[in-house]
Amino acid sequence: METDVALVMSIKTGNKKALGELVERHKKSAYRMALGLVGNRDDAHDISQEAFIRVYRSAGTYDESQPFRPWFYTIIANLSRTWLRKRSRRENRMVDVDDVSYLLVDERDPEKVTIHRETVARLNQALLQLSFADREIITLQHFRGMSYDEIADLLGIPKGTVMSRLYYARKKLAMLMRLNDA
Amino acid sequence: MRKNNRELLAGYVDGELTEQERRDFEVELAGNPELRSELAEFERLKEVTGMAKYADLPDEVWESYWQSIYRKLERGIGWILFSIGAIVLLGFGLYEGLSGLYLDPAQPLWLKVGVTAFGGGLVFLLVSYARERLFAYKRDRYKEVTK
Repeated sequence: METDVALVMSIKTGNKKALGELVERHKKSAYRMALGLVGNRDDAHDISQEAFIRVYRSAGTYDESQPFRPWFYTIIANLSRTWLRKRSRRENRMVDVDDVSYLLVDERDPEKVTIHRETVARLNQALLQLSFADREIITLQHFRGMSYDEIADLLGIPKGTVMSRLYYARKKLAMLMRLNDA
Repeated sequence: MRKNNRELLAGYVDGELTEQERRDFEVELAGNPELRSELAEFERLKEVTGMAKYADLPDEVWESYWQSIYRKLERGIGWILFSIGAIVLLGFGLYEGLSGLYLDPAQPLWLKVGVTAFGGGLVFLLVSYARERLFAYKRDRYKEVTK
């Protein structure tokens, strides 16, 4: 199996098949990443697709000595930021806080689903009220299950910064959940 | 709370501390009620986020995902070619039309003045609009606010 970097190098020469393979490999994680950042399924779908189109168009600028994932993640994060800014201008709000459909209750424990549903609805709302940077770090650690080293590599920041960003983001998230509960 | 404790607290909740860091942090924890309360809060948060998962897309969306990207790419190439063609044709048309108009002494002066005013007005309006947008963007206090 070709590496991601090798595929991007093929894409540089205009190879759409290589792009297709890269898409199959990363489409779900791209969608989930964008979903965590923008909190809306349709937008996340569009952003993830646009990210692959950007990969195709910007493959020429890709530095093959660098890993693929942080580069790709930067594309998704930049697109998500732009998307939110446009949406905020269009709708005069960052995200649709009434849209509680992007986070679902994990129904592996059927007895607790009803209680969990209420909690998850509050979590949903609180997450959408966080700043982009806070939601980003929460998404990566809590919902993508990434280790601190992986997050540090992805965002290009020291591990200590990952820890302190997580601390502050969690404090804000906990406070928002309390406020939404009141 | 010292900064170090904040970082260690996050790492403790996520099981990211070394054995030594964990032991040191637990000693600190035993004598620090504020830290214990924050730990309980973070553990609860971890539990809550563990109850949730991202909503997935229907299978048919995933099946047509690549085709959809491929179509967008093709359309993009189509639009680029179309735009280049349109610019070339429009430029040629304008050049032919305007040079024919201005260089032909048989054309009345009022027509030349009218066309000049129309073109000049259009450029003036476009520049004014672009300047207004730029001015509004520079003064937008919330442009960096994502929330």
